[in-house]
Amino acid sequence: MVDPEARMAAIVQDEIAPLRDPLPTAVHLRGPERAGLAERFAPTDPLPGAELTAHPRVARVVRSRKFQFLLILPNQIIFWTVIFVGLLGTAVPGLNFGAAITWYVWFCLVFVMMVVVGRAWCAMCPFGGFAEWVQRRSFFTRTQKALGLGRTFPEPLARVGFLIPVASFLVLTWIEEFFNIAGPGNPADTSWMVVGIVASALAFFLVFERRTFCRYVCPLTTLIGTVGSMGSVAGFRTRDREVCLTCRTKDCMRGGTDGFGCPWYTWPGSADSNLYCGLCSECYKACPEGNVGLFLHKPLTSVVAPRRRRADVAWGIALLWGLVLYQQFNATNAFAAAETWLDAHLGFPHYPNPIDYLGMIAAGALAFAAIAALIAKGVASPAVDFARPGRFLERTSRFRAFFVPMAYGLIPVMGADYFARQLPKFFQHAPRVVPAVADIAGLSSTRSSVYRFSIMTNGWIVVVQVAVVCLGALAAAWATWRITSKELVPISDHKVAVRVATVGVALACGAAAAVLYVLMHAAD
Amino acid sequence: MTVLDEATLESSPVVRPQVRVLVDRCAGCQECVIRCPAAALHMDTVTWVAVADSDACVGCRQCVRTCPYSAITVEGPIVVAERHEPAQARPASLLGDLSEVRSGFGTWAEALAEAQRCLACPDPTCVRGCPAHNDVPAFIAAVRDRDLARAHEVLRATSVLPDVCARVCNQAAQCEGACTWSLAGGIPVAIGRLERFVADQLPVPPPSTPPGRGGEAGGDVLSVGIVGAGPAGIGAAWELLEAGAEVTVYERDECPGGLLGWGIPDFTLPEEIAARPWRQLEAAGVDLRCDTEILPDDLGALLAEHDAVVLANGAGEPLRLRVPGAELDGVVDATSFLRGAKAALEPGGGRLDFCSSLGLHLGHGGTPPLVLVLGAGNTAMDVARSAIRLGLRALCVDWLEERFALARPDELDEARREGVEVRFSRTLARLTGEGRVAQAFLSSTAQARPEDRPKVLRRAPEVVDVGLVVMAMGYRNDPAFAAVAPGTPQRPKVDGLPDRRWTASGVLAAPASGASHRDPVGRLALRREQGLWAAAFAPRDRLYVAGDALVGPSTVVEAMAQGRRAAAALLSARPTRPGRRRPGGARRVLVCYESRGGRTARAAQEIAAVLADHDHSVRSLSIDRVGPLELASADVVVVGTWVEGLVVARVGPAKGTVAWLAGLPRLAGKTAGIFCTFSVAPRGTLPAVRRVLEAKGADVVAQAAFGPGELGTEPTSFGPAGFAAELASRLARDGVPAALAFDRRA
Repeated sequence: MVDPEARMAAIVQDEIAPLRDPLPTAVHLRGPERAGLAERFAPTDPLPGAELTAHPRVARVVRSRKFQFLLILPNQIIFWTVIFVGLLGTAVPGLNFGAAITWYVWFCLVFVMMVVVGRAWCAMCPFGGFAEWVQRRSFFTRTQKALGLGRTFPEPLARVGFLIPVASFLVLTWIEEFFNIAGPGNPADTSWMVVGIVASALAFFLVFERRTFCRYVCPLTTLIGTVGSMGSVAGFRTRDREVCLTCRTKDCMRGGTDGFGCPWYTWPGSADSNLYCGLCSECYKACPEGNVGLFLHKPLTSVVAPRRRRADVAWGIALLWGLVLYQQFNATNAFAAAETWLDAHLGFPHYPNPIDYLGMIAAGALAFAAIAALIAKGVASPAVDFARPGRFLERTSRFRAFFVPMAYGLIPVMGADYFARQLPKFFQHAPRVVPAVADIAGLSSTRSSVYRFSIMTNGWIVVVQVAVVCLGALAAAWATWRITSKELVPISDHKVAVRVATVGVALACGAAAAVLYVLMHAAD
Repeated sequence: MTVLDEATLESSPVVRPQVRVLVDRCAGCQECVIRCPAAALHMDTVTWVAVADSDACVGCRQCVRTCPYSAITVEGPIVVAERHEPAQARPASLLGDLSEVRSGFGTWAEALAEAQRCLACPDPTCVRGCPAHNDVPAFIAAVRDRDLARAHEVLRATSVLPDVCARVCNQAAQCEGACTWSLAGGIPVAIGRLERFVADQLPVPPPSTPPGRGGEAGGDVLSVGIVGAGPAGIGAAWELLEAGAEVTVYERDECPGGLLGWGIPDFTLPEEIAARPWRQLEAAGVDLRCDTEILPDDLGALLAEHDAVVLANGAGEPLRLRVPGAELDGVVDATSFLRGAKAALEPGGGRLDFCSSLGLHLGHGGTPPLVLVLGAGNTAMDVARSAIRLGLRALCVDWLEERFALARPDELDEARREGVEVRFSRTLARLTGEGRVAQAFLSSTAQARPEDRPKVLRRAPEVVDVGLVVMAMGYRNDPAFAAVAPGTPQRPKVDGLPDRRWTASGVLAAPASGASHRDPVGRLALRREQGLWAAAFAPRDRLYVAGDALVGPSTVVEAMAQGRRAAAALLSARPTRPGRRRPGGARRVLVCYESRGGRTARAAQEIAAVLADHDHSVRSLSIDRVGPLELASADVVVVGTWVEGLVVARVGPAKGTVAWLAGLPRLAGKTAGIFCTFSVAPRGTLPAVRRVLEAKGADVVAQAAFGPGELGTEPTSFGPAGFAAELASRLARDGVPAALAFDRRA
């Protein structure tokens, strides 16, 4: 059998008087810049053998326009059920399907998906998915005209990157704590929270273009993006960067015949992490050259390898770290005493007091930043000119040169800490989903043995929590070591000291979180 | 937006444009970097985002328009010198005056100063805006180098009427409307005037016929008949003549040129310029047969006489408003008025006699009679301005609102300055008179949006005393020709996803030029592009159509460009009339396929490889990569699809293929083959594809369905290789029969 492709290569094309389009004659585009390109992307480019879409069956599934629709549909059904059952069903949280599925199972599964896959939840999210269906006026077909105003997110807000979604996550968490929604408390509150997220998403999708909500506003986007960068899915990447560089249409960005332009403002040709890949597969469908593939990479690659580090991501990680520490600390006896004192003096007699809520989160974040600043001061080479003026996302300084990479190194322990916090609800109450489903048909009660069944006892749960945090701390230490060796050692005068200091900070963070779990258990 | 030149900027350096890259959203795709005319953007190798140098920025905002993610903003002025506007001719009296109203650049200094304003954009949107796609930056660069011969050479690649187009084109809706300065809200480069300067300073070179042409008359020389000697006919004849074809042009009128000859008054297009193309074409050997009208029934005989025919007879049926009194004397159409006025205004042409023949008597000292012109487009303006030069008064009425009207703003200004009264939001309700029109009743109209049809308001109509009514609302195609040229006239419309190279250039970005009337200039250009490519496809075997005959009333430059495109397609297809041997044996085969799992693609490759082994020139492309250029350049189209459906339910061609087939142009004269790949059964897949292709005019000569057994690793005579071999054998014979020569279905 002669290889058809080899034979095709020998075919002479257009040897007989072709028609010529005069337009290309007049177009003299500058050549794209390639200086430093190979070094820039070599550490983050996945190996060709790690392409999932090289397998025809996977390619066929991902190529289908129904791919994302079928991912979203089950979650869509579940969350509309959550809304209606939460509002109309039993007031017993453990028996109400809405509250039970959301807080005993969903949040925990989202974390598992993040750590393993990255933004898998974003690909199947029913909130953004629903709004996107409306915006595109289609469940899955490629439409040309969007519904809504199609505006771009205001530049001043876009310039702070992840800080707006971090703020919205902090606000949502405060509301959740205030109303005890995730306790879970009144199931109707869970429904209203979901309705609020869906309505916000819909409003943003109708005013702004693409997935502006998911990229700039969604409360979960920073958490999923950062924790997801530990995952083993690199996302949709270019197969041959040269093809992308010389592409004259950029269908993956603008939209092509078969796919929409990237809803996440990402270009496979320059993606160096999975941070902003929503795994929607639109670029894969749109690329006219078939030059995009879905790749795997080693865990933590998107944490360790990228050269472009963002200050907004770093501050986001620090604030999320502050939040999870607050959530642990507020379950300890020490916090109870402090809060009583604060409530009495600030006149806010309800948990959580916004002053101590924000104050402690800020303290956690600033403490980490202060440690980074101290390390920078102690080890940074005076010969290096760190300062580059600019706006928030652009400027550089000695502090940022150390703080930002160190914050990336904190991701594994931060992610592990959030995951560990979800474990008690899962291990103690996840089986309640079964009677909650039965309760929709009125066939269950709190006397059911399944309702009272726990997967694990409290003591063992703490052991698992500490183990998870320790695992996260070890991963953070490894990531920090790699990042430090690559980025901080070259700009430091004390090579050993910087390694010890940064890795020590990562381990210390893990130790603090682990100790807090023990203290929380003691308080229980 | 202010326009500043370099001198102003040097004296006040604070007003430079400020470029900002939103680093959060910049994906490092370099779309801005490769298109920036000022090289003000480059890449940061660490962060891999674009970095702007505001000191180099000229404020053209090309980067803003081309960034896929809206990650760049430019604030501040445009850095460009002011455009030089030569004064228009304003004679003391317009009576009988035929001097050209619009002036060109009179000196090299003026032309060079204007040429310096051109940025020579790497992705020049002006070229897309030009219906003929003149390489504007290249010819302006030649002007900058004072090399007029090179400028002509550049223009010649896309246009044979630079002197005419420079005068009659509405550049504000074409090249100048799409100039990057214009898209940025500034004043565009005077491309039209620079083109005119080139043509004024150095005469347009005549057609260059190949040496020895005519020596083989009656041999293998391509013989082409062209119906109509207007701009489309000129474009086609020029192209064919230069390629060595024998060209015979049949013109209904006694003089060639069509609209250029009788339709455009001398004060816009001087007679000398309008007659230039035919003077050169006749001298180069075109057989021009004037006073020869070709009727639809004559086309068959013409196709028997020539290898191919280009139908370029325009859209000459005047539209008439059916109102009470329209049958009265003194109601004429624009064509007859313009023809008569043109002759009457020539020296010794009998101006008064012409007016008398229209029933208009010009007294001495009294108020001249009023000519009511219905419409406010190009033709209406020409009628009204000619009337003024005949010593009459003129009133144009248009039922569109002025802001939505089709009138050229510059032409409207000129007409009003010459004394033409133009009233918008008015329509003629009825005409009255004793045997001859005496009064016109004008009703008011209202129109909220450009796409709305104006509504006639119920108010008392305004009564105007008129001496003559000229209906100048436009023209339409002769419906009799639609039967012999299926699918004509086409109405190009922009829907679906435009070619992304056009999107990437930024010409489609909003807001587009404000000078392009109702539509953004990019959408206008896209519509013209569809018409241009439509000219490359024969609606009937060996019959090509171009110009107004193809797309309805359009413009001189569009018609000329379509004529050239039709001629190029014709030369590319090398048709032969019955009884003549087709030159050469190799065919250009385009294998287009839609593949889901890869089997159809592999079958397509195998077919392409076998056809290539038979010395045919073969391209194999996925259907989403098949554009008009690829289709027009093919003699044989092989279409492959996978079979979609659920075993027995809704089994047929893949939906993508169905949509693609529906959007195909006419494929008359092209040979087609069909294949499909299936897992269970193809059922009606092949007949469905065949029906569409035959409806488009293609001759389907082979079809085959390949199941899993025929798509193995080894080529078999039952598989794609066998199908391709059979198809090749059919192509090797002259005269492909319409009946299926090869039919293998599962």
